[in-house]
Amino acid sequence: MARRVGSLLIGMLAVLALPAGVARAADVPREIALTIEKNRFQPEEIRVKAGASFILVITNKDRAAEEFESRELRIEKVIPAGKTVRLRMPALKPGTYPFVGEYHEATAKGRLVAE
Amino acid sequence: MGAAFVVTLREAFEAALILGIVYTYLDKIGGRAYYRYATAGGALGLLASIGAGVAVSFLSGPLLDLGPDVVRTVVVFAAVVLLTWHGWWMRQHARSIKGNVQRRIEQARLTRRLWIIGLIGFTGVFREGAETILFLWGLLTQATSAAAGVAGGTLGVATAALLGWAIFHGGRRLSLRRFFTVTSAILLFVSAGLFSTGVGQLQGLGVLPQSYALWDTSFLLSDRSLVGAFLNGLLGYRARPSALELGAYVTYVLGAGLLLFGNALVPARRRSGPRPDVARP
Repeated sequence: MARRVGSLLIGMLAVLALPAGVARAADVPREIALTIEKNRFQPEEIRVKAGASFILVITNKDRAAEEFESRELRIEKVIPAGKTVRLRMPALKPGTYPFVGEYHEATAKGRLVAE
Repeated sequence: MGAAFVVTLREAFEAALILGIVYTYLDKIGGRAYYRYATAGGALGLLASIGAGVAVSFLSGPLLDLGPDVVRTVVVFAAVVLLTWHGWWMRQHARSIKGNVQRRIEQARLTRRLWIIGLIGFTGVFREGAETILFLWGLLTQATSAAAGVAGGTLGVATAALLGWAIFHGGRRLSLRRFFTVTSAILLFVSAGLFSTGVGQLQGLGVLPQSYALWDTSFLLSDRSLVGAFLNGLLGYRARPSALELGAYVTYVLGAGLLLFGNALVPARRRSGPRPDVARP
């Protein structure tokens, strides 16, 4: 019984891991740099290919932490002062996706444009 | 200053709400002596938040890329489990408590569950704690408007605490049975909101597939505004919910609602007998 449960678990894990492995082998996601400086994003508009996942490499050059946030994409990520964070982004449908720095929302605004 | 006030009030409101309910609960069942468990939980949550804030500033690489997200997701689901459990337990006892004798039994039973009370206090504070600490710390490092920002941020936390206290004060006036029912209902919606937040986080992390907003009511009520944020903390209001978030919310409300209030829907035979109302203190 225990062996059965064990093999079942391993099978389930394999099924879960399989698509991830295939996706990773198929295309290495592009890296896109985004910088935070003086509570602003640079660049403020990022153009990406629709339908392809990518990695946002966000560097915070300020002395204060910032939180990258996209309500639309349900992503919230704290970028501590002086740090770089690699953020895996999903494949997007064509469209515009605004994001903000939650801690300095008045100035830190930008958008992702997928096309 | 205004922006800092809004951010911290938004972040701290949920913690204040949960702590307010826990303290009132202890007061209600005559467990004032056990306040310290909730206080210790909350204080540990605050310490852990500071620790996490400091840790994040020292982490780098994959640990920084993923670590905080994993912690955040674990905490949000842990909070859902704890609050559901607490709500269920309160409902069980709302039914049985009829007088002072039961109240004393309740108190005796409580001693075995104090660590849960502590954990609820802990997760309530820790969930948004590290973010708030980092935000406040960031305000301090900004030369231009540090004083005003910190004043606003502190005022936001203080206002949240005041709201928690108001809940405590208001809750004390309710009869025991009504208090248990009302808070079970509130916790049901708070937990449903947390559960759908957790599912949304998993979508953001790519664990669950991304799906797009079903509708957008942010022109009516943005969840970034104060009212929107309160409704978010209380009911899980979302201006742009995804199908999965909405599904998670509805599933939780139905499932936990049935668990907590299921018997209220069935006209039970055992209700026909006289039912003395809640004990007067």
